Amino acid sequence: MNSLGWKQIVLALVAFGCIALALVGIGVMPFDALSELIRGSLGTKNNWNETLKHTTPLLITGLAVFIALRAGLFNIGAEGQLLVGALVATAVALKMPGLVGAVLSVMAGTIAGGLWALPAGLIKAYRNGHEVITTIMLNNIAAALAIGLVAGPLRGGTGLSTSTDVISESSWLPNVYQDLPFRLSLALPIAILLVWVIAVWIKKTVAGFELCATGANPKAAETAGVEIKRVTVRAMTISGALAGLAGAIQVLAYEHNFYAGFSSGFGFDALGVALLAGASAWGVLPAAFAFGALAKGTTSLQALGVPKGLSGLLLGTIIIVFAAYRYRKVKSHD
Amino acid sequence: MTPAVRMTGITHRFGALAALEDVDFEVAVGSVHALVGENGAGKTTLMRVLYGALQPTEGALFVDEIERRWRNSADAISHHIGMVSQHYSIIHELTCLQNLVLGAEGSFLLPADEMKKRADHLAAKMGFEFDWDAEASGLSPSAAQKLEIVKLLWRDSRIMILDEPTAMLSPVDSDALYISLKQLASEGATVIVVTHRIPEVVQHCERVTILRGGKKVADLRVSETSAELLAELIVGHAVTRPAPTAPNPGAAVIEAQDLVVRGARKDHALKGATFTIHSGEVVGLAGVDGNGQRELFHALIGTLPIESGRLVFAGDEITTTRACTRLMEGMRLIPEDRHEEGVIQDWSLVDNATLGLQRIPPLTNGPWSDLVARRSLAQRVADRFKTKHSGLYKSMRSLSGGNQQRFVAARALELDPKLILAFQPTRGLDVDGTAQVYAEIRNACRNGAAALVASFDLDELLENCDRTLVINNGRVFEPLTGQERDRQAIGQLMVGAK
Repeated sequence: MNSLGWKQIVLALVAFGCIALALVGIGVMPFDALSELIRGSLGTKNNWNETLKHTTPLLITGLAVFIALRAGLFNIGAEGQLLVGALVATAVALKMPGLVGAVLSVMAGTIAGGLWALPAGLIKAYRNGHEVITTIMLNNIAAALAIGLVAGPLRGGTGLSTSTDVISESSWLPNVYQDLPFRLSLALPIAILLVWVIAVWIKKTVAGFELCATGANPKAAETAGVEIKRVTVRAMTISGALAGLAGAIQVLAYEHNFYAGFSSGFGFDALGVALLAGASAWGVLPAAFAFGALAKGTTSLQALGVPKGLSGLLLGTIIIVFAAYRYRKVKSHD
Repeated sequence: MTPAVRMTGITHRFGALAALEDVDFEVAVGSVHALVGENGAGKTTLMRVLYGALQPTEGALFVDEIERRWRNSADAISHHIGMVSQHYSIIHELTCLQNLVLGAEGSFLLPADEMKKRADHLAAKMGFEFDWDAEASGLSPSAAQKLEIVKLLWRDSRIMILDEPTAMLSPVDSDALYISLKQLASEGATVIVVTHRIPEVVQHCERVTILRGGKKVADLRVSETSAELLAELIVGHAVTRPAPTAPNPGAAVIEAQDLVVRGARKDHALKGATFTIHSGEVVGLAGVDGNGQRELFHALIGTLPIESGRLVFAGDEITTTRACTRLMEGMRLIPEDRHEEGVIQDWSLVDNATLGLQRIPPLTNGPWSDLVARRSLAQRVADRFKTKHSGLYKSMRSLSGGNQQRFVAARALELDPKLILAFQPTRGLDVDGTAQVYAEIRNACRNGAAALVASFDLDELLENCDRTLVINNGRVFEPLTGQERDRQAIGQLMVGAK
């Protein structure tokens, strides 16, 4: 059942063939591009640093989208939930410097993300409004709100750009390992721990079982005594809370303030991460790392004269090819 | 007489497994021919070969004595072969007319009036009547079956294959269906009926072919055989049924008083149902499909709200209690639609065994699931009715329909059931399987549980249940004293002609 069909192989060859042709078209040898891609993401200490830094938020938001997906929900709103989480976490950390403030800041960011997703869950469960529509709308509201707040009430005293003040260094998440320019923030181990927690929760608890049943076949789940409306609301809220947590950690570990353009679309890349992850939470780990490395590597490609659009194309192609492998229809026999 | 279909030496292998081995099959023009056998005997596989949905590993196929080799079903359809599968392919959101012509529109533009004229003509030939502009979701199972037959006529099918056509029909509708089929045959069509209901074969068919374990064991004229002989040929040995033990009714397990429940179309599907079932008894629920059985079962298990009335389970009122609580208190359900409600096809057998029992110890320990207990449960569930599977961690999808049914039925008997709600628990099961399922349900009841079994097959209920209730138009009736086993009297209650 797991052997590759010739159709998938042809698809992969055609897809990567197109990219190679496009590269040749702008005068870059595909092999040079590939080696630069690898060097740019994993070649030096600094590049490793950047790759892992990019991987961390993808890991947590990927997990957020993943858990909603298990419940049969497409949470397109991770981006907005991340922004709201980051914004609230920044505000709390600014008010309360120090360790306690940092803990409160993380909690506040998590709760804010969850609350931001809650309406989408409620509308889906009780009014059958599609979560894709509602979460996209909530994304736009979050983005507008964030810009409004950093331009107004939360605007910092220094600098000209629309951003908040930098939070006190006493609130920063520490690095657990340092070999300059390589820094490993505590954020990454926390993210990996979260993967473990979610993986165990899904596999070994009744609530996890019922969440997956709801996603796999809501009718059968309901017949089996699962309260699918509650599960839907709960899954959406947990998903939003994780995305909010990602935002809070992004502030405390890497950014240290909130500004317009805070997220480079982590919440959207998270959709790809979760799709690649497949049925197990552990799949989020390699998927997030692959996205992180590609994001960093394709930035380096620009030095070779490869436009940013083309690297986006590469990423998209990889997702489509992977999805074609993973979501191949399994032939049933009766 | 020339055969309409002649298949010789058909062998079909799925991997190493031979589903069919050297089968010869011949059907005369203008006859109603039955194909019978247990689950997994190869009936459906043989028919799918004839229909072009499967290419046989070996063997030859002749239609009107011309050798054919189908590349796909479209090929077979264009040579006037049609098949109605067990699960109707009616799309609820489309109108009857759209369903009729779907895939065989015949032209780029759709002239509705002309199509309706032809549709009416075909339906009238069979004595059917349809509101072509109505949505197909409103069709009863027997109307859907009729529409499937008109679909075959629309496609000019002359060789018609019907897979378990009466599985969802009441006795009256079944008889009517066979009258239509005989009429078609008399006009030159050839009808092949795949079925496991022996009485139908004896009563309505001309010839019968029996398959067992992928091989043909007999091909007989029906007038030269009997129900007993057929049953023996199908199973391979004389059918012995465990002698039914007498019921020992104890305390009331479930008491329903004036239940009023709204159905999917927001109308009152139950209009004041009242009945009591005691521990120790197996109670049948007879009725024509669509009279409130579905809603009654949903209301009992707790997935449809009860608008008014009272429901008491083992002495406690549960009118508004949640489904998960009812399950934990010992209610078990064999749902009507195993594909949609009973199992999750992509999940493993282990996970499916847990479905519905997930909150009950020993499968849980506080919030935690006990994975070891779940696996041993799955093993027991699979073993009870000898579900054929290739591994407990394989997906449910890999099981045949009959084996899925065995699995779902066995699951409802697990973890100390108090009330077993069984909706057509033997749907798609063979003689042996049916006997086993009823024996085990009775067994559980003799140990203190109670069971309510709904079926559209009155004979099956009369044979296997201690007593029979009748549901008609949202109300539940009890046959008069002295008529508890009177097929005629119960049949009249079923259609409301009392």
